[in-house]
Amino acid sequence: MNRALRRVSLICLVLFVALLINVNYVQGFQASSLANEPGNGRTISATLQFQRGSIVTADQKVVAYSKMNKNFGEYQRHYPFGKMYAPVTGYNTLFSQTGIEGAANKDLAGTDPALEVHNLIDLISGKQKKGATVELTVNSAAQQAAWNALRASGRESGVVAINPQTGAILALASYPTFDPNLLATLDGNKLNSNDKRLLRDPAHPLINNAISTTFPPGSTFKIVTSSTAFATGKVADQNTPVFAPTRLTLPGTTTQLINDNGSACNNGGNPTGNGKVPLIFAFTVSCNTVFGALGEKLSASALQAQASKYNFNNPNLTLAPGMRVATSNFPLYKDPAQRAGAAIGQESDTVTPLQEAMLSAAMANTGVPMKPSLIQKVTAPDLSAVQTATPATLSTPVTPTQAAHLQAMMTNVVQSPDGTAHATAGTQVTGGITIAGKTGTAQNGINNSGLDDAVFTCYAPTTQPQIAVGVVVKGGGFGADAAAPIAVQIIKAYLASQGKG
Amino acid sequence: MSAITTPGGHPLGADAGAGQGSQPVAAPMPRGRRRTELLMLIFVVGVVMLAYANVGLGLNGKIPAGMFEYGLAFAVLVGAAHVAVRWLAPYADPLLLPLAALLNGLGIVMIYRLQEAGRGGNPGVQISTMSSSTTLFQVFYTTIGMAAFVAVLAFIRQPRTLQRYTYTLGAIGLVLVALPAVLPSSISEVPGTLAKIQISVGGFTVQPEEFAKLALAVFFAGYLVAKRDVLALAGRHVLGIDLPRARDLGPVLIAWGVSLVVLIFESDIGTSALFFGLFVVMMYVATQRSSWLIIGFLLFIFGSFVASQLFAHVHDRVVVWLDPFKYVHTTGFQLSQGLYGLGFGGVLGRGLGQGQPYLTPLVQSDFITTAFGEELGLAGMMALLLIYGLIVQRGLRAAIAVRDPFSKLLAGGLAFVVALQVFVIVGGVTRLIPLTGITTPFLSQGGSSLIASWMGIALLMRISDTARRPAPQPIQDEGMTQVVRAG
Repeated sequence: MNRALRRVSLICLVLFVALLINVNYVQGFQASSLANEPGNGRTISATLQFQRGSIVTADQKVVAYSKMNKNFGEYQRHYPFGKMYAPVTGYNTLFSQTGIEGAANKDLAGTDPALEVHNLIDLISGKQKKGATVELTVNSAAQQAAWNALRASGRESGVVAINPQTGAILALASYPTFDPNLLATLDGNKLNSNDKRLLRDPAHPLINNAISTTFPPGSTFKIVTSSTAFATGKVADQNTPVFAPTRLTLPGTTTQLINDNGSACNNGGNPTGNGKVPLIFAFTVSCNTVFGALGEKLSASALQAQASKYNFNNPNLTLAPGMRVATSNFPLYKDPAQRAGAAIGQESDTVTPLQEAMLSAAMANTGVPMKPSLIQKVTAPDLSAVQTATPATLSTPVTPTQAAHLQAMMTNVVQSPDGTAHATAGTQVTGGITIAGKTGTAQNGINNSGLDDAVFTCYAPTTQPQIAVGVVVKGGGFGADAAAPIAVQIIKAYLASQGKG
Repeated sequence: MSAITTPGGHPLGADAGAGQGSQPVAAPMPRGRRRTELLMLIFVVGVVMLAYANVGLGLNGKIPAGMFEYGLAFAVLVGAAHVAVRWLAPYADPLLLPLAALLNGLGIVMIYRLQEAGRGGNPGVQISTMSSSTTLFQVFYTTIGMAAFVAVLAFIRQPRTLQRYTYTLGAIGLVLVALPAVLPSSISEVPGTLAKIQISVGGFTVQPEEFAKLALAVFFAGYLVAKRDVLALAGRHVLGIDLPRARDLGPVLIAWGVSLVVLIFESDIGTSALFFGLFVVMMYVATQRSSWLIIGFLLFIFGSFVASQLFAHVHDRVVVWLDPFKYVHTTGFQLSQGLYGLGFGGVLGRGLGQGQPYLTPLVQSDFITTAFGEELGLAGMMALLLIYGLIVQRGLRAAIAVRDPFSKLLAGGLAFVVALQVFVIVGGVTRLIPLTGITTPFLSQGGSSLIASWMGIALLMRISDTARRPAPQPIQDEGMTQVVRAG
């Protein structure tokens, strides 16, 4: 039996060698990939052992910071402004991060390769490891005004303000939203119950309406339609007379497109509704029939290509790495009847409030849309900059001359006494700030029975623009009434803060 | 392993089976080496005490309150076992007791560490399946285990005496295995699992399979010694292997069937594999026919495959094994947490009391080696595996050294089952093989496994004592008194 017993000891040897090799593999080679598995609680609590970097606004207001919680012996995240910055910062829970907390997680947690030299120096000098500080492009005055205005509206809404020259986001607010402090708790059970409550809330507070929800653009899409007309040479400039019927029968259907209240598009020279009006007049009073007819005349591909240059149909836009923006849609409308509707922002057209802001920002920047960004600078704990944002252009949809035509048209919408936004955004309410913009009132529901969504896109001042704003208020009614005042408040607050600085 | 020598290097009589053991032993009589054992045991107590102090320092920077009492209790227990060995088995292997005591002591330390997590202001989360007296219970079980160890040595003075009870122990073993299957789930089911492997009455829980393992090892040894000539008869010769005759396949098929029944009715894959593996390997040792190993292995693979197709809980284990992180929130949670712990420990470990082993469910039983891996690192994990490897090696050495075929088979079986059990559970928690829940010998929390493991060590020591005990000196002169050497 001894021969067999020696073979058995060989078998045992093989079993133990297999175990030894395997533990060497798991603990030696696999250790780092195990540490990076999402849901690895040990890695999470290891990251709670040191101070996560702060998130600050462009004017150095701290909107997220970590402080030692003595009860847990771990660093806890605090959001001093509560709901105001939630759509920007997102949250940082034990298990996941969203918003900037997620996009800049590696910088904030100090695990980014660019920070490794700093970490090494800290290790040698015995200093405690700390995450990098992330500086936002957001201006605290603009953000405060944006949040106050949305909260006052009390409706599902989103707003974004952009610096037209750089694409830097100056304000980004959403309503309803959540208090990220609820999800920053170190108590796992409390976190679970808070999370469940937010997920179950019928108002969907976790959804960021500024970049993750799309709405119908309504008449604000007439900016893109006009820009296509200029770019394709179908219309020479803003004063070119265009066909302005009172009723427009859509080709192949009996459907008739009408203007607001069914009125004629009459600048005084078109009382019968069979003649022509200058394009700028049709834009100022927002004649649907003019732009519907224009949409029919433009080719489907030209219209879509132009929309895409303004970032429609782009599923890859991010404000920071991984912080995705919902796609604003403008499909290829081969049917001229559909295209007529789409040209005035109906049919399947959708936009995010960010997209609305980008439209005006492009016009304010001589027709060049800039890539929007939310992070200005990442600063290592020793105050050296790890990375700084550089502005990037998205495309050139129109020439500067054509942009000037559109600027004139948008200026008229607010500054001309018959403009749709004159009453709510004119200089008499802005304290002399000249705004240029376009209103939109998107009809909703079956036979348009639902409450209209109010949309407004604008920039200011009309000369040397500094800020562009896009607002959507769901069920708000007229764009000029519900959306424009929100933009006005943000513009006033921002320009006032810049005047001081 | 070409020459058999005593630990001191003295040649020992070769085994009886080879027919060359008739040469008179000219070398000096083998020493008992009890002093070596004592020195090793002092070392073991020292290591365990240091580990215990380390836990306190790691948890809250203080030496644990009960350190002196626990240390004294452990030293007294180990010392008592040593004295008993000096008296009852003076020629027994000197390493088996210290190795088992080291594992047992480290197990208590780890259970104390896990019990203390989140209690009394210590970092971490309390383990809901442990109470503040779990460690005390484990010390209590250790006491019973060591008492059982001494009792086995005291009552079984010759391993061959067990042979008389072959079928009695076989019947007892089968009853112990089958009992949980026929009892209602409320008594036999391990809470939170499907496994029906225990008898839980009035707060006390016994896992009969742990004792069944010993009884069946004795049964297999007795049965196979009696039948080995028949089983070794060669049938057809295929591909260089002598296949057994078809009618001799009966016993192996019965063992296979019983192990499948355990698997199906008790949902206990690990124990099933353990029993079947034990039987097949003992059959191989008894008959020297490697065809039994191959037939057994193929039957096992086939049975496992069919079971994984038929039973959802077996299938789940395989699926989780292939990609535990995909199921990290459901069926793969425990395995993933164990692996995270191992990775977190890395090469040198977090240090006792400084990891987060409490995040792994049931870490104090099946997954206790991952707690060691996390806090003592790859280094500590390899040390543990080497300790087990040494126990197996000492057991197999006793098997080879002993002359009596029954003792030889029994020692071989007992040593192999330790190796197989460690392989199944450590391989399971480190994702080498699909996870099957069985206890880790000497380390896991729980009385049955600990007591049965100590009884197994006692049997191995009894066999090694028999193997190394010098033959009585022939009386040369009637006028002389026979000298009996002590220790």
